Amino acid sequence: MTTAKGSLKDGIRIIALVCMLAAATLMIAGCGGKDEGLTDDVTIDAGAAEQVDQQVVPEEPAETVPEQPVVQDFAAMAPQEYGIEDVFFAFDEYSLNGESMAALEASARIMMEHPDIVYVVEGHCDERGTVEYNLALGEKRSIAVRDYLVTLGVAKDRLRITSYGEEHPFAHGHDESAWALNRRAHFSRP
Amino acid sequence: MKIFARIARLVRSRRSSNSIVMPAAAALAAALALAAAAPAFAADPEIILGTEKTAWERIDILVQPLNVFSGGRDSQAAGELLEQVLRDDLHYSGLFRPLGPDDAAADSTAVSFGIEGVLEGRLPGTAVTAAEAAPVLSLKLLSYPGRQLMLGKRYRPLENQLRASAHHFVDEVVRLLSGEPGISLTKIVFARGSGDRRDIWCVDYDGGNPLKLTANRTLNLFPAWSPKGRDVAFMSWRKGQQGTYMLDTATGSVRLLAETPGSNLGPAWHPEGKELLVSLSKTGQHEIYRMDLQGRIKRRLTISPAIEISPCWAPGGRDIVFTSDRTGTPQLYIMDADGSGRRRLTFEGRYNDSADWSPDGERIVYACREHELTQLVLIEATGENRRVLTDGRWRNCEDPSWAPDGRHLVFASDRTGVFKLYVMDVAEGTVRQLTDGPEPDTTADWSP
Repeated sequence: MTTAKGSLKDGIRIIALVCMLAAATLMIAGCGGKDEGLTDDVTIDAGAAEQVDQQVVPEEPAETVPEQPVVQDFAAMAPQEYGIEDVFFAFDEYSLNGESMAALEASARIMMEHPDIVYVVEGHCDERGTVEYNLALGEKRSIAVRDYLVTLGVAKDRLRITSYGEEHPFAHGHDESAWALNRRAHFSRP
Repeated sequence: MKIFARIARLVRSRRSSNSIVMPAAAALAAALALAAAAPAFAADPEIILGTEKTAWERIDILVQPLNVFSGGRDSQAAGELLEQVLRDDLHYSGLFRPLGPDDAAADSTAVSFGIEGVLEGRLPGTAVTAAEAAPVLSLKLLSYPGRQLMLGKRYRPLENQLRASAHHFVDEVVRLLSGEPGISLTKIVFARGSGDRRDIWCVDYDGGNPLKLTANRTLNLFPAWSPKGRDVAFMSWRKGQQGTYMLDTATGSVRLLAETPGSNLGPAWHPEGKELLVSLSKTGQHEIYRMDLQGRIKRRLTISPAIEISPCWAPGGRDIVFTSDRTGTPQLYIMDADGSGRRRLTFEGRYNDSADWSPDGERIVYACREHELTQLVLIEATGENRRVLTDGRWRNCEDPSWAPDGRHLVFASDRTGVFKLYVMDVAEGTVRQLTDGPEPDTTADWSP
């Protein structure tokens, strides 16, 4: 919870505000016989802030909500939740196009603002072609993304590469719309 | 006389099928033919039959109902199971046409052989006294019409060994009549699963005894039998990192061989079982390396910015076939075992991968992607006589692996919408489904 302390950005302030509002909403709404203490269990993340209602029951013992303005913990969030977007590729290609490079430039800025976070760059492929070649191709995609982020200033040792080939599809269809979604480099945490 | 003539015809037809040459079978038939004082290999139009598909003729063999003397419903069921396994094995061998007593053809004078059997004693697990503990299964191969004994075997199968007894007997029959070892006791390993899990499974060559070998809640792929048929090398992930692992199928234990940063693709065994080929990307490029069974790199075989994967040793260990996309598309190449003497094998098709060298060293089967479909292709190791084995009815066909008889292949096809394993008789051109169930089965390897 201390990762970004001292470097509050506008976005974080807004999310923190939303979270506090959410907490307030919960207290007002109440929940069964519980008059107090519920807010202690609210996990702070953007998703919770958006879908807060009486049904919110956190799955795990969560951290106490600080009374003062919340510092958003990127380390506890999925990279996609704070603007690190996946990038996509053409069939049998691992070179980056203009759109991908623009997305990676935005990602690089966020990564450099939060230099403690380590990422796994996962290369993925569509279902066409062989399992083994797709694993190699996925890794080429992962490497291409890592290398471009490094040229933008992200430390190389923060970016681990791996490939899942065609084994972890994001879309399960058997047409180009699904394939296009599956040819990607995806950011996860180790 | 008739028997020997039929054996001789069988062997002749085998010899005429290009590149499946079986010296042992020829020797056996020649010896039998001499013993019978018959003119060996008289001029016969069958010899020059063209394609493999028509060069094979199955021998009729009558499988008599088993005489079951052990009583009880379970025993009757066991007898029927044994009969079914015998018939399936004979059929799957590709050498025989099994007939039952009710088949119209069974009365014909063309039937040369018959199998008769007796099952006595209590079945495993139902014994009352120790003396009853093991049943006795007697199986005989007879030549017809004289009912002359050609082969007799007695088995005392333990629990769950009934099928194996029948498999063993058919292999003996195949060995006797063709001079080749059978494949009835072989097994196939493969990866099964979806989502974030693939487990290594093992199944008998006829689809019996499916068994899950891993349960580590991650992806496991590319299982590969050791030449002795006990260990299975495979690739797995741990915390997002690929590694090469070794599974002992006798004990179920798994050990990590090597976890090299980047890819750790596709272990392939040296024919003597002391080294593996792997494709590693620790340099940022996928290159093929020789690795010992302690996970130590012995030698780097390729140097190129291209993707170099899918290695497979030739049976003698002298050459290695592999995939490289150095020309822009994945193609098959052959190199010497030290990485020198590289030459391109495939020139047709824009996407060739997953080569497997036939046990006799003469042919290579691989997957070729054309017109949006992956199909199986057979080519001689010289690069000649390319032949597509599958067509669009099979949708995508991937990861072919040879049976030790050099006649059968296992491969994965998604013709039903999900990848399942199938076995092809390359000589005859027939295919049977090996695995079923809702989850995809891929990356199969046939045991020695």
